Amino acid sequence: MFSHVDGTFHECVVQGIIETQHVEALEILLQGLCGVHKERLRIHELCLKSSPNLGNGTSEFRFICDLEQQPEPSWSLRHIGGAMRGAGAEQLAVLVRSVGESKVSKQALRLFYALGYRLDHELLRVGFSFHFQRGAQITVTVSSVNKMLKLHAIEEAVPVTPGIQLVEVTAPASADNYPEVAAAVSSFCEYLAPLLHLSKPGVSTGVVPTAAAAAASLMSDGGGTTL
Amino acid sequence: MPAKWVLHWHPITGASVNTQILDEISQGIESINGVKDGRWKAVLTFYKPIVRDQSMAAEFPRDFLGISLPDEPYKYYFVVRGQRIIVEADLSIQAIMDKLQSYKLRVALNFEGIQYGLGDFRVRVGKVVPSHLTHSETMRGIVMEVEYLPISSIDQSKQIMEEFVDIVQEILSNKPLPGHFVHSEPNFAEYGLSDQYTSQHAAIQYSTVMAQLIARHSQ
Repeated sequence: MFSHVDGTFHECVVQGIIETQHVEALEILLQGLCGVHKERLRIHELCLKSSPNLGNGTSEFRFICDLEQQPEPSWSLRHIGGAMRGAGAEQLAVLVRSVGESKVSKQALRLFYALGYRLDHELLRVGFSFHFQRGAQITVTVSSVNKMLKLHAIEEAVPVTPGIQLVEVTAPASADNYPEVAAAVSSFCEYLAPLLHLSKPGVSTGVVPTAAAAAASLMSDGGGTTL
Repeated sequence: MPAKWVLHWHPITGASVNTQILDEISQGIESINGVKDGRWKAVLTFYKPIVRDQSMAAEFPRDFLGISLPDEPYKYYFVVRGQRIIVEADLSIQAIMDKLQSYKLRVALNFEGIQYGLGDFRVRVGKVVPSHLTHSETMRGIVMEVEYLPISSIDQSKQIMEEFVDIVQEILSNKPLPGHFVHSEPNFAEYGLSDQYTSQHAAIQYSTVMAQLIARHSQ
Protein backbone atom coordinates (compact mmCIF):
# COMPACT_ATOMS: atom_id res chain seq x y z
CA MET A 1 0.00 0.00 0.00
CA PHE A 2 2.91 2.31 0.43
CA SER A 3 4.75 0.98 -2.53
CA HIS A 4 5.59 3.17 -5.43
CA VAL A 5 4.56 2.07 -8.90
CA ASP A 6 7.83 0.19 -9.19
CA GLY A 7 7.34 -1.77 -5.96
CA THR A 8 9.86 0.03 -3.78
CA PHE A 9 8.80 1.73 -0.61
CA HIS A 10 10.19 3.60 2.35
CA GLU A 11 10.54 2.42 5.90
CA CYS A 12 11.06 4.10 9.23
CA VAL A 13 13.49 2.20 11.44
CA VAL A 14 15.16 2.40 14.82
CA GLN A 15 17.37 -0.14 16.57
CA GLY A 16 18.64 -0.90 20.02
CA ILE A 17 20.20 -3.67 22.08
CA ILE A 18 19.05 -5.48 25.17
CA GLU A 19 20.66 -8.05 27.40
CA THR A 20 19.35 -11.56 26.77
CA GLN A 21 18.37 -11.87 30.42
CA HIS A 22 15.80 -9.09 29.93
CA VAL A 23 14.27 -10.40 26.70
CA GLU A 24 11.52 -12.25 28.51
CA ALA A 25 10.48 -9.06 30.28
CA LEU A 26 10.51 -7.22 26.95
CA GLU A 27 8.28 -9.89 25.51
CA ILE A 28 5.78 -9.44 28.35
CA LEU A 29 5.82 -5.68 27.82
CA LEU A 30 5.33 -6.00 24.06
CA GLN A 31 2.56 -8.55 24.49
CA GLY A 32 0.75 -6.10 26.74
CA LEU A 33 1.29 -3.12 24.43
CA CYS A 34 0.53 -4.80 21.12
CA GLY A 35 -2.34 -7.06 22.02
CA VAL A 36 -1.23 -9.66 19.48
CA HIS A 37 0.69 -12.90 19.73
CA LYS A 38 4.37 -13.03 18.91
CA GLU A 39 5.58 -14.82 15.82
CA ARG A 40 8.66 -16.98 15.93
CA LEU A 41 11.56 -15.77 13.86
CA ARG A 42 14.30 -17.84 12.35
CA ILE A 43 15.91 -16.14 9.42
CA HIS A 44 19.02 -16.94 7.43
CA GLU A 45 20.37 -13.72 5.96
CA LEU A 46 22.92 -13.78 3.18
CA CYS A 47 24.58 -10.50 2.30
CA LEU A 48 25.79 -10.41 -1.30
CA LYS A 49 28.15 -7.84 -2.78
CA SER A 50 29.13 -7.26 -6.38
CA SER A 51 32.57 -8.37 -7.51
CA PRO A 52 35.01 -5.49 -8.10
CA ASN A 53 34.68 -5.46 -11.89
CA LEU A 54 30.90 -5.18 -11.88
CA GLY A 55 29.08 -1.87 -11.77
CA ASN A 56 30.36 1.63 -11.17
CA GLY A 57 30.71 1.02 -7.46
CA THR A 58 29.92 -1.80 -5.07
CA SER A 59 26.29 -2.85 -4.91
CA GLU A 60 24.90 -5.10 -2.23
CA PHE A 61 21.67 -6.65 -1.10
CA ARG A 62 20.45 -9.41 1.19
CA PHE A 63 18.72 -12.69 0.65
CA ILE A 64 16.28 -13.37 3.44
CA CYS A 65 15.49 -17.05 3.90
CA ASP A 66 12.58 -17.52 6.28
CA LEU A 67 13.22 -20.88 7.89
CA GLU A 68 9.89 -20.82 9.76
CA GLN A 69 7.89 -21.21 6.53
CA GLN A 70 6.42 -24.63 5.85
CA PRO A 71 6.88 -26.94 4.02
CA GLU A 72 9.87 -25.17 2.47
CA PRO A 73 11.73 -22.03 3.52
CA SER A 74 10.70 -18.97 1.53
CA TRP A 75 13.24 -16.63 -0.04
CA SER A 76 13.11 -12.92 -0.65
CA LEU A 77 15.57 -10.33 -1.80
CA ARG A 78 15.90 -7.06 0.09
CA HIS A 79 17.76 -3.99 -1.08
CA ILE A 80 18.25 -1.09 1.28
CA GLY A 81 18.53 2.24 -0.45
CA GLY A 82 19.77 5.53 0.84
CA ALA A 83 18.39 7.52 3.72
CA MET A 84 15.80 10.11 2.83
CA ARG A 85 17.29 13.58 2.68
CA GLY A 86 15.83 17.00 3.24
CA ALA A 87 12.29 18.03 4.19
CA GLY A 88 13.11 17.53 7.86
CA ALA A 89 13.84 13.81 7.39
CA GLU A 90 17.36 14.08 8.75
CA GLN A 91 16.14 15.74 11.97
CA LEU A 92 13.80 12.89 12.83
CA ALA A 93 14.72 10.49 15.58
CA VAL A 94 14.00 7.61 13.24
CA LEU A 95 15.78 6.72 10.02
CA VAL A 96 13.66 6.93 6.87
CA ARG A 97 15.17 4.88 4.06
CA SER A 98 14.05 3.45 0.74
CA VAL A 99 13.66 -0.32 0.51
CA GLY A 100 13.10 -2.72 -2.37
CA GLU A 101 11.79 -6.20 -1.68
CA SER A 102 10.85 -9.11 -3.86
CA LYS A 103 9.97 -12.73 -3.25
CA VAL A 104 12.32 -14.94 -5.24
CA SER A 105 12.38 -18.63 -6.08
CA LYS A 106 15.15 -20.76 -4.69
CA GLN A 107 17.62 -20.55 -7.58
CA ALA A 108 18.06 -16.85 -6.87
CA LEU A 109 21.33 -17.37 -5.00
CA ARG A 110 22.74 -19.35 -7.96
CA LEU A 111 21.55 -16.61 -10.30
CA PHE A 112 23.34 -13.80 -8.53
CA TYR A 113 26.54 -15.83 -8.16
CA ALA A 114 26.38 -16.33 -11.95
CA LEU A 115 25.82 -12.58 -12.40
CA GLY A 116 29.00 -11.71 -10.50
CA TYR A 117 27.89 -11.31 -6.89
CA ARG A 118 29.75 -12.87 -3.97
CA LEU A 119 28.68 -13.87 -0.48
CA ASP A 120 30.08 -11.22 1.84
CA HIS A 121 28.72 -12.66 5.08
CA GLU A 122 25.76 -14.59 6.38
CA LEU A 123 23.83 -14.48 9.64
CA LEU A 124 21.16 -16.44 11.43
CA ARG A 125 18.62 -14.38 13.35
CA VAL A 126 16.63 -16.26 15.97
CA GLY A 127 13.91 -14.67 18.05
CA PHE A 128 10.41 -13.34 17.70
CA SER A 129 8.44 -10.46 16.25
CA PHE A 130 5.22 -8.57 16.86
CA HIS A 131 3.18 -6.99 14.04
CA PHE A 132 0.49 -4.54 15.03
CA GLN A 133 -1.24 -1.25 14.21
CA ARG A 134 -0.60 1.76 16.44
CA GLY A 135 -0.68 4.94 14.39
CA ALA A 136 1.24 2.99 11.78
CA GLN A 137 1.86 -0.63 10.86
CA ILE A 138 4.66 -1.39 13.28
CA THR A 139 6.88 -4.45 13.50
CA VAL A 140 9.09 -5.09 16.52
CA THR A 141 11.73 -7.76 16.08
CA VAL A 142 13.83 -9.13 18.93
CA SER A 143 16.57 -11.52 17.88
CA SER A 144 19.96 -12.94 18.62
CA VAL A 145 22.33 -12.46 15.72
CA ASN A 146 24.42 -15.54 15.03
CA LYS A 147 27.27 -16.24 12.66
CA MET A 148 28.11 -19.52 10.99
CA LEU A 149 31.45 -21.17 11.52
CA LYS A 150 31.17 -23.02 8.23
CA LEU A 151 29.51 -21.96 5.00
CA HIS A 152 25.70 -22.14 5.33
CA ALA A 153 25.97 -24.26 8.50
CA ILE A 154 22.90 -22.81 10.24
CA GLU A 155 22.74 -25.66 12.74
CA GLU A 156 26.14 -24.61 14.09
CA ALA A 157 25.64 -20.88 14.39
CA VAL A 158 27.05 -19.00 17.38
CA PRO A 159 26.04 -15.57 18.72
CA VAL A 160 27.98 -12.63 17.38
CA THR A 161 27.51 -10.83 20.71
CA PRO A 162 26.74 -13.40 23.40
CA GLY A 163 24.31 -12.18 26.01
CA ILE A 164 23.04 -9.32 23.82
CA GLN A 165 20.10 -9.28 21.45
CA LEU A 166 19.10 -6.82 18.76
CA VAL A 167 15.75 -5.02 18.80
CA GLU A 168 14.43 -3.41 15.63
CA VAL A 169 11.28 -1.36 15.23
CA THR A 170 10.17 -0.73 11.64
CA ALA A 171 7.13 0.66 9.85
CA PRO A 172 6.53 1.07 6.09
CA ALA A 173 5.98 4.63 4.89
CA SER A 174 5.56 6.69 1.77
CA ALA A 175 7.09 9.97 0.73
CA ASP A 176 3.81 11.60 1.80
CA ASN A 177 3.20 10.13 5.23
CA TYR A 178 6.65 9.44 6.65
CA PRO A 179 6.47 12.25 9.25
CA GLU A 180 3.31 10.69 10.76
CA VAL A 181 4.76 7.18 10.61
CA ALA A 182 8.03 8.39 12.18
CA ALA A 183 6.05 10.07 14.95
CA ALA A 184 4.07 6.88 15.58
CA VAL A 185 7.28 4.86 15.81
CA SER A 186 8.93 7.38 18.16
CA SER A 187 5.88 7.53 20.32
CA PHE A 188 5.71 3.76 20.60
CA CYS A 189 9.40 3.56 21.48
CA GLU A 190 8.82 5.75 24.52
CA TYR A 191 6.92 2.85 26.11
CA LEU A 192 10.03 0.70 25.75
CA ALA A 193 12.38 3.32 27.23
CA PRO A 194 12.69 1.73 30.68
CA LEU A 195 14.03 -1.44 29.08
CA LEU A 196 15.99 -0.21 26.10
CA HIS A 197 17.08 2.82 24.12
CA LEU A 198 16.22 2.87 20.43
CA SER A 199 17.85 5.11 17.86
CA LYS A 200 18.80 5.34 14.20
CA PRO A 201 20.93 2.45 12.94
CA GLY A 202 24.51 3.52 13.00
CA VAL A 203 24.04 5.69 16.06
CA SER A 204 25.57 3.68 18.85
CA THR A 205 23.58 3.02 21.96
CA GLY A 206 24.20 0.89 24.96
CA VAL A 207 21.95 -0.96 27.33
CA VAL A 208 19.91 1.30 29.64
CA PRO A 209 20.65 1.48 33.34
CA THR A 210 16.98 1.10 34.30
CA ALA A 211 16.65 -2.18 32.40
CA ALA A 212 17.28 -4.52 35.31
CA ALA A 213 14.78 -2.84 37.59
CA ALA A 214 12.18 -2.52 34.85
CA ALA A 215 12.63 -6.16 33.86
CA ALA A 216 12.28 -7.32 37.44
CA SER A 217 9.08 -5.36 37.77
CA LEU A 218 7.64 -6.84 34.60
CA MET A 219 8.59 -10.37 35.56
CA SER A 220 7.24 -10.17 39.05
CA ASP A 221 3.65 -9.37 38.17
CA GLY A 222 3.48 -10.47 34.51
CA GLY A 223 3.08 -7.02 33.03
CA GLY A 224 0.38 -5.63 35.26
CA THR A 225 2.67 -2.84 36.40
CA THR A 226 2.58 0.40 34.48
CA LEU A 227 6.17 1.50 33.95
CA MET B 1 -1.42 -24.77 -15.04
CA PRO B 2 -2.26 -26.22 -18.47
CA ALA B 3 0.64 -27.68 -20.43
CA LYS B 4 1.91 -25.49 -23.23
CA TRP B 5 4.16 -25.67 -26.27
CA VAL B 6 5.89 -22.60 -27.67
CA LEU B 7 6.85 -22.90 -31.33
CA HIS B 8 8.67 -20.54 -33.64
CA TRP B 9 8.27 -20.08 -37.38
CA HIS B 10 11.17 -21.44 -39.42
CA PRO B 11 11.11 -19.86 -42.90
CA ILE B 12 12.56 -21.84 -45.81
CA THR B 13 15.96 -20.64 -46.98
CA GLY B 14 15.74 -17.20 -48.48
CA ALA B 15 12.24 -16.46 -47.21
CA SER B 16 11.50 -13.81 -44.61
CA VAL B 17 8.91 -13.37 -41.90
CA ASN B 18 6.37 -10.66 -42.51
CA THR B 19 2.84 -9.48 -41.80
CA GLN B 20 1.41 -11.45 -44.70
CA ILE B 21 2.68 -14.74 -43.32
CA LEU B 22 1.39 -13.83 -39.88
CA ASP B 23 -2.04 -13.03 -41.34
CA GLU B 24 -2.11 -16.33 -43.23
CA ILE B 25 -1.29 -18.22 -40.05
CA SER B 26 -4.07 -16.42 -38.19
CA GLN B 27 -6.52 -17.24 -40.97
CA GLY B 28 -5.42 -20.85 -40.81
CA ILE B 29 -6.28 -20.98 -37.10
CA GLU B 30 -9.63 -19.32 -37.75
CA SER B 31 -10.36 -21.84 -40.51
CA ILE B 32 -10.40 -24.64 -37.92
CA ASN B 33 -12.85 -22.65 -35.81
CA GLY B 34 -10.39 -20.74 -33.70
CA VAL B 35 -12.33 -17.94 -31.97
CA LYS B 36 -10.51 -14.65 -31.34
CA ASP B 37 -10.23 -14.08 -27.63
CA GLY B 38 -8.14 -10.95 -27.17
CA ARG B 39 -4.53 -9.91 -27.45
CA TRP B 40 -1.42 -11.05 -25.61
CA LYS B 41 2.10 -9.81 -25.02
CA ALA B 42 5.31 -11.10 -23.50
CA VAL B 43 8.46 -8.97 -23.19
CA LEU B 44 12.00 -10.33 -23.25
CA THR B 45 14.79 -8.08 -22.04
CA PHE B 46 18.46 -8.80 -22.66
CA TYR B 47 20.65 -7.39 -19.93
CA LYS B 48 24.30 -6.46 -20.16
CA PRO B 49 26.75 -5.92 -17.32
CA ILE B 50 27.81 -2.40 -16.38
CA VAL B 51 31.59 -2.49 -16.32
CA ARG B 52 34.21 0.24 -16.14
CA ASP B 53 36.23 -1.40 -18.88
CA GLN B 54 34.60 -3.29 -21.77
CA SER B 55 37.23 -6.01 -21.64
CA MET B 56 35.83 -7.01 -18.25
CA ALA B 57 32.39 -7.75 -19.72
CA ALA B 58 33.49 -11.20 -20.88
CA GLU B 59 33.52 -12.62 -17.36
CA PHE B 60 29.74 -12.03 -16.99
CA PRO B 61 26.94 -13.94 -18.74
CA ARG B 62 25.83 -12.71 -22.13
CA ASP B 63 22.58 -14.66 -22.03
CA PHE B 64 20.99 -13.06 -18.97
CA LEU B 65 17.32 -12.45 -19.79
CA GLY B 66 14.39 -10.88 -18.00
CA ILE B 67 10.94 -12.01 -19.07
CA SER B 68 7.42 -10.78 -18.34
CA LEU B 69 4.60 -13.17 -19.26
CA PRO B 70 0.99 -12.40 -20.15
CA ASP B 71 -0.43 -14.96 -17.69
CA GLU B 72 1.59 -13.56 -14.75
CA PRO B 73 1.05 -9.80 -14.50
CA TYR B 74 2.68 -9.59 -11.03
CA LYS B 75 5.75 -11.71 -11.71
CA TYR B 76 9.07 -11.30 -13.46
CA TYR B 77 11.39 -14.09 -14.59
CA PHE B 78 15.15 -14.31 -14.99
CA VAL B 79 16.87 -16.91 -17.15
CA VAL B 80 20.56 -17.58 -17.68
CA ARG B 81 20.26 -20.23 -20.36
CA GLY B 82 23.88 -21.29 -20.54
CA GLN B 83 23.79 -22.22 -16.85
CA ARG B 84 20.23 -23.54 -16.83
CA ILE B 85 19.09 -21.03 -14.23
CA ILE B 86 15.47 -19.90 -13.86
CA VAL B 87 14.24 -17.53 -11.14
CA GLU B 88 10.70 -16.30 -10.51
CA ALA B 89 10.40 -12.97 -8.69
CA ASP B 90 7.93 -10.17 -8.01
CA LEU B 91 7.66 -7.24 -10.41
CA SER B 92 9.55 -5.11 -7.86
CA ILE B 93 12.74 -7.01 -8.78
CA GLN B 94 13.05 -4.81 -11.88
CA ALA B 95 13.30 -1.63 -9.79
CA ILE B 96 15.80 -3.36 -7.51
CA MET B 97 17.97 -4.36 -10.50
CA ASP B 98 17.84 -0.72 -11.56
CA LYS B 99 19.01 0.46 -8.15
CA LEU B 100 21.82 -2.10 -8.02
CA GLN B 101 23.29 -0.50 -11.13
CA SER B 102 25.17 -3.66 -12.06
CA TYR B 103 23.17 -4.62 -15.16
CA LYS B 104 21.24 -2.56 -17.64
CA LEU B 105 18.95 -3.12 -20.58
CA ARG B 106 20.68 -4.04 -23.82
CA VAL B 107 17.62 -4.73 -25.96
CA ALA B 108 13.98 -5.54 -25.30
CA LEU B 109 11.70 -7.54 -27.60
CA ASN B 110 7.94 -7.86 -27.63
CA PHE B 111 6.24 -11.12 -28.43
CA GLU B 112 2.69 -10.02 -29.18
CA GLY B 113 -0.40 -10.92 -31.10
CA ILE B 114 -3.85 -12.47 -30.91
CA GLN B 115 -5.12 -15.40 -28.91
CA TYR B 116 -7.76 -17.93 -29.96
CA GLY B 117 -10.02 -20.39 -28.17
CA LEU B 118 -10.26 -23.70 -29.95
CA GLY B 119 -12.19 -26.23 -27.92
CA ASP B 120 -9.82 -27.57 -25.26
CA PHE B 121 -6.93 -25.63 -26.76
CA ARG B 122 -5.85 -22.02 -26.46
CA VAL B 123 -3.65 -20.82 -29.28
CA ARG B 124 -1.63 -17.61 -29.38
CA VAL B 125 -0.04 -16.36 -32.57
CA GLY B 126 2.28 -13.39 -32.59
CA LYS B 127 5.22 -11.49 -33.99
CA VAL B 128 8.58 -10.77 -32.41
CA VAL B 129 9.50 -7.08 -32.64
CA PRO B 130 11.92 -4.77 -30.84
CA SER B 131 9.94 -3.08 -28.05
CA HIS B 132 10.59 0.39 -29.33
CA LEU B 133 9.50 -0.53 -32.88
CA THR B 134 6.30 -2.37 -32.15
CA HIS B 135 4.28 -0.43 -34.70
CA SER B 136 6.69 -1.04 -37.52
CA GLU B 137 6.35 -3.72 -40.13
CA THR B 138 9.73 -5.19 -39.30
CA MET B 139 9.49 -8.39 -37.38
CA ARG B 140 12.24 -10.64 -36.15
CA GLY B 141 10.11 -13.76 -35.99
CA ILE B 142 6.71 -15.36 -35.55
CA VAL B 143 5.73 -17.53 -32.61
CA MET B 144 2.80 -19.73 -31.75
CA GLU B 145 1.76 -20.96 -28.30
CA VAL B 146 -0.45 -24.01 -27.99
CA GLU B 147 -2.00 -24.71 -24.62
CA TYR B 148 -4.02 -27.84 -23.82
CA LEU B 149 -6.32 -26.80 -21.00
CA PRO B 150 -7.33 -30.18 -19.47
CA ILE B 151 -3.81 -31.46 -18.68
CA SER B 152 -0.90 -29.94 -16.78
CA SER B 153 1.51 -32.85 -17.18
CA ILE B 154 3.97 -32.19 -20.00
CA ASP B 155 4.44 -35.91 -20.70
CA GLN B 156 0.76 -36.78 -20.69
CA SER B 157 -0.16 -33.93 -23.02
CA LYS B 158 2.58 -34.69 -25.57
CA GLN B 159 0.61 -36.87 -27.94
CA ILE B 160 -2.43 -34.63 -28.20
CA MET B 161 -0.23 -31.59 -28.66
CA GLU B 162 1.63 -33.33 -31.50
CA GLU B 163 -1.64 -34.24 -33.20
CA PHE B 164 -2.96 -30.71 -32.93
CA VAL B 165 0.25 -29.11 -34.19
CA ASP B 166 0.34 -31.60 -37.09
CA ILE B 167 -3.13 -30.42 -38.11
CA VAL B 168 -2.05 -26.79 -38.02
CA GLN B 169 1.17 -27.50 -39.96
CA GLU B 170 -0.80 -29.29 -42.67
CA ILE B 171 -3.25 -26.40 -43.08
CA LEU B 172 -0.38 -23.94 -43.37
CA SER B 173 1.64 -26.05 -45.79
CA ASN B 174 -1.43 -26.36 -48.04
CA LYS B 175 -1.69 -22.60 -48.43
CA PRO B 176 1.30 -22.87 -49.20
CA LEU B 177 3.47 -20.89 -46.80
CA PRO B 178 7.27 -20.69 -47.18
CA GLY B 179 8.15 -22.31 -43.86
CA HIS B 180 6.82 -24.28 -40.93
CA PHE B 181 6.61 -24.15 -37.15
CA VAL B 182 9.37 -25.80 -35.13
CA HIS B 183 9.00 -27.14 -31.62
CA SER B 184 12.18 -27.75 -29.61
CA GLU B 185 11.38 -28.79 -26.12
CA PRO B 186 13.91 -27.55 -23.58
CA ASN B 187 15.16 -30.08 -21.03
CA PHE B 188 13.18 -28.73 -18.06
CA ALA B 189 14.80 -31.17 -15.63
CA GLU B 190 18.14 -29.45 -16.23
CA TYR B 191 16.55 -26.32 -14.77
CA GLY B 192 15.30 -28.21 -11.74
CA LEU B 193 11.67 -28.21 -12.91
CA SER B 194 9.21 -31.10 -12.81
CA ASP B 195 6.73 -32.54 -15.29
CA GLN B 196 3.95 -30.26 -14.02
CA TYR B 197 3.77 -27.17 -16.20
CA THR B 198 4.31 -23.76 -14.60
CA SER B 199 5.08 -20.22 -15.68
CA GLN B 200 8.75 -20.97 -15.03
CA HIS B 201 8.50 -23.53 -17.84
CA ALA B 202 7.01 -20.83 -20.08
CA ALA B 203 9.87 -18.43 -19.32
CA ILE B 204 12.39 -21.12 -20.30
CA GLN B 205 10.50 -21.89 -23.51
CA TYR B 206 10.59 -18.22 -24.49
CA SER B 207 14.31 -17.98 -23.80
CA THR B 208 14.86 -21.10 -25.93
CA VAL B 209 12.83 -19.68 -28.82
CA MET B 210 14.81 -16.46 -28.51
CA ALA B 211 18.09 -18.39 -28.75
CA GLN B 212 16.83 -20.14 -31.88
CA LEU B 213 15.75 -16.88 -33.51
CA ILE B 214 19.19 -15.42 -32.79
CA ALA B 215 20.90 -18.52 -34.18
CA ARG B 216 18.84 -18.30 -37.34
CA HIS B 217 19.67 -14.61 -37.80
CA SER B 218 23.35 -15.26 -37.51
CA GLN B 219 23.39 -17.89 -40.25
